[in-house]
Amino acid sequence: MDNSGITRRKFIIGSAIGGASLVASNYLNLESWATTEESTQDLKVTPTLCDGCGNWCAIKVYTRGKRIWKAEGIPIAGNNLGRICAKGHGLLHEVYNKDRIKSPLKRTGPNKFEPISWEQAYREIGQRVQEIKKEHGPESFFWLQFPEGNAGLCSRFMNALGSPNVFSHATTCFLPRNIGWWLTIGSAKPEHDLEHTRFAIFLGRNIAAGLRLRALSDLSKAKDRGARFVVVDPRFSELASFAHQYVQIRPGTDLALMLAIANTLIAEKLYQKDFVDKYSQGFDELAQKVKGYTTEWAEQKTGIPRGVIGKLAHDLAESAPQAFIHRGYHGALGTQYKNSLQLVRAVACVNGLLGNFNQRGGMFFHPEVKLGRLDPQKFPKTPELGDSMVDGSGASDRYPITPVGLGLSQAIPELALEGKLKAGFVYHNNPLRTCPNPARVIEGYRKLDLLVSFDYILSETASLAHYILPESYYLERDDVVHTNHCFNSKQVAIRQAVIEPLYDTKPMVVILIELAKSLGIGNYFNFTLEEYNQAALAPFGITLERLKQEGVIDLGGKWEPGPPQFKTPSGKFEFVSSTLQDLNLPAVPEWEEPLVVPDQSDIHSFRLIHGKQAHHTHAKTINQEYLKEISLLNDMTRVWIHPERAKALGIKDGDCMTISNSVGKGRARALVTDGIHRDCVFLPSSYGVYSRNLRTAFGFGISYNDFLPTYFDPVLGHCMSNEIIVRVEKTPA
Amino acid sequence: MPRYGIAIDSTKCIGCHSCRVACQNQNELHFDETFNWIKSKDRGQYPSYGKEFIPLQCNHCENAPCQRVCPTGATYTSKEGVVLVNPKTCVGCKYCMEACPYKMRIIDHRRGIVEKCRLCIELVREGGTPACVTTCPTQVRIFGDLDDPNSAISRFIAQTGAQPLRPDLGTVPKIFYKRS
Repeated sequence: MDNSGITRRKFIIGSAIGGASLVASNYLNLESWATTEESTQDLKVTPTLCDGCGNWCAIKVYTRGKRIWKAEGIPIAGNNLGRICAKGHGLLHEVYNKDRIKSPLKRTGPNKFEPISWEQAYREIGQRVQEIKKEHGPESFFWLQFPEGNAGLCSRFMNALGSPNVFSHATTCFLPRNIGWWLTIGSAKPEHDLEHTRFAIFLGRNIAAGLRLRALSDLSKAKDRGARFVVVDPRFSELASFAHQYVQIRPGTDLALMLAIANTLIAEKLYQKDFVDKYSQGFDELAQKVKGYTTEWAEQKTGIPRGVIGKLAHDLAESAPQAFIHRGYHGALGTQYKNSLQLVRAVACVNGLLGNFNQRGGMFFHPEVKLGRLDPQKFPKTPELGDSMVDGSGASDRYPITPVGLGLSQAIPELALEGKLKAGFVYHNNPLRTCPNPARVIEGYRKLDLLVSFDYILSETASLAHYILPESYYLERDDVVHTNHCFNSKQVAIRQAVIEPLYDTKPMVVILIELAKSLGIGNYFNFTLEEYNQAALAPFGITLERLKQEGVIDLGGKWEPGPPQFKTPSGKFEFVSSTLQDLNLPAVPEWEEPLVVPDQSDIHSFRLIHGKQAHHTHAKTINQEYLKEISLLNDMTRVWIHPERAKALGIKDGDCMTISNSVGKGRARALVTDGIHRDCVFLPSSYGVYSRNLRTAFGFGISYNDFLPTYFDPVLGHCMSNEIIVRVEKTPA
Repeated sequence: MPRYGIAIDSTKCIGCHSCRVACQNQNELHFDETFNWIKSKDRGQYPSYGKEFIPLQCNHCENAPCQRVCPTGATYTSKEGVVLVNPKTCVGCKYCMEACPYKMRIIDHRRGIVEKCRLCIELVREGGTPACVTTCPTQVRIFGDLDDPNSAISRFIAQTGAQPLRPDLGTVPKIFYKRS
């Protein structure tokens, strides 16, 4: 056999090279094992919270001297149960990234930066802020963030300044999911008792890439116990590999599937009558509404055979209440389609028909921890501001149910161009890459009189900022007490510095406290991080020292199944949403077409869909060599296309394709696979970094945002990120 | 003395590559060096289309071809049945890399030697578990003593009939796969 033998020539070449490097290594790296042993003597383990995504998994970081070595998970942590993903491991190296910002910077020209002192930065920003405030009022300021544990303090900062305009990434991520659930059950993020479930459907939700380590661990245990899982997705996702059944659906038609399942459950009396009678309102209206949505009708819309749809409904009913349809995240239930809000409502309603709330193996509301607060003397109330934002969030005539504090981040460039926003602070976010239509975003952000970034690297947005106040990397900074590990019991956790900051950077809370002084709002930040954290823990009788020692502390209060309670206006599970009814919007889930559909007569016309990969978060991790290497090695920037569609275009696996529409143009290589619906192409969403200051990531892959027009969904204003039609063709040689 | 092995349930693998980076950190590897890989395999057409992720690493063969061909005896099997490379005697001739039918060995360019999965033996001897096992979100890997019929790994292999890769090669690996 070929691979078990070796030719003499190969052997000689092999030994020659080997010999040469052996000599070199003896000089360069003498007795490397001995040095390792020596350095184990100053081995230290520090618990902290990862910052690879929004799960903030609890980890123990091992250091040898001043150098970070490795991490292990903390087993009791509710969010990760001792597991860590590739990002969690890989980002340990990010602290040593050559692209890091080493001190506060002031931009002196296009992509030209001058290091300045913190004092100078605070002073100059303070002056600019006062000028802009005087001329345009405090409402012309905005804050944009990917909310961290310290998000409350960031909002406080803006409110103290007199601006309600605090934006998050919600509008490009999860907005309809949160609102749809909140309307129906009074809670935006119900949890799933995955471990004890018997049957679950994941509708465009891919927890195997939009990772939730807790959920995966529970899923694995449930699989061992014989539970069955179905993935419904236009694309054969990573979770589909794990699941028992994969159902391919035409993108944007998940709502039709849900309506037909609801209809089947009701028509065949398969729903949990007890739950419906006792805990819900509006069942009759729902029954009336979904009557016409037969499995035949849904087959037309979704492309899923009627038999399969009926079977899904029966499988759900058979295992109910130990069955659920996942509450979703960014997938079809997130900010992807015009009908996403109706879809979330429909998913919630089907779960209602299954009567799975607060049931073993169903859905539940996770226990909450209420952290203590500093006494009002030290922590005065900020001024009362209106209940709407500059983008219309919360305004009765614009987006009445879009919460203030989440906002519509894709509106910022438009508002800047209109002159309504004059100055901004961007923290832990990179709108120039993660908002639709980057050319427009750049135009808008350029228009700002003042842009301050708190980034640790020169991301696209930071590269455009007037000032950059670098936050210490998460491994170098102390932070606030977190409650994010409350899954099925009450837990508090904390992030703390594992090593001293390598450069002249500071923790965000310290920056806020110091910056507040020069902005004339120092009286609202008259405390230290230590005092703030001590006050947070005071109600539980836990010292800050103990929390820092253990990383995560379980306070008990474990969730137990029981009668559900809903915090809706009616106090019941709302099949008919009273809030939507009051606003004169469709209050019972009903079919709504997606905004755009590909032209069936054009062989070049596709919908462009996107999704995550497990080893990347947004576009912020691709600049880390350890993580980029995984993409490179496995050729993961490729765009998925159906074999028949590819054949019609003369595209073979690995060929270069040109993708274009009115917004943008890009090139990517093809992954020809049966695992994608013929109507769409799939683009992984972690790539397309265009900041030249990120040397590892620059120019690697493309992003769906390059093709996404700036949309605002009519009800919530989200960005409808899968409503993209592109032209795909083979790139001419 | 235990005889260590790993059972891999590839039906649970989601291809997240956490094992890869956990291993790199534990063993202080450079970003482009790795002791384990995930191979993905497509089969069929929808509706019977499927995709499998197969985690790969050194199979720690009982009858290790790499060990047989090593001219300096640098590759050896430890008392726990783990195939290891002694960095002091390896001359980097790469003969073992050619001999390994699974192609699971790499070159450590910094030291000019051949390296491979060590089943985190230093960690295991201290009572730990290999990094790729503990980090896995879906618990794909089960580590343990193959000679103990009551260990989780032995029971898993007995229950599922997990098989090593290419048993026909006669290498007698200690990594077992449940693939369907």
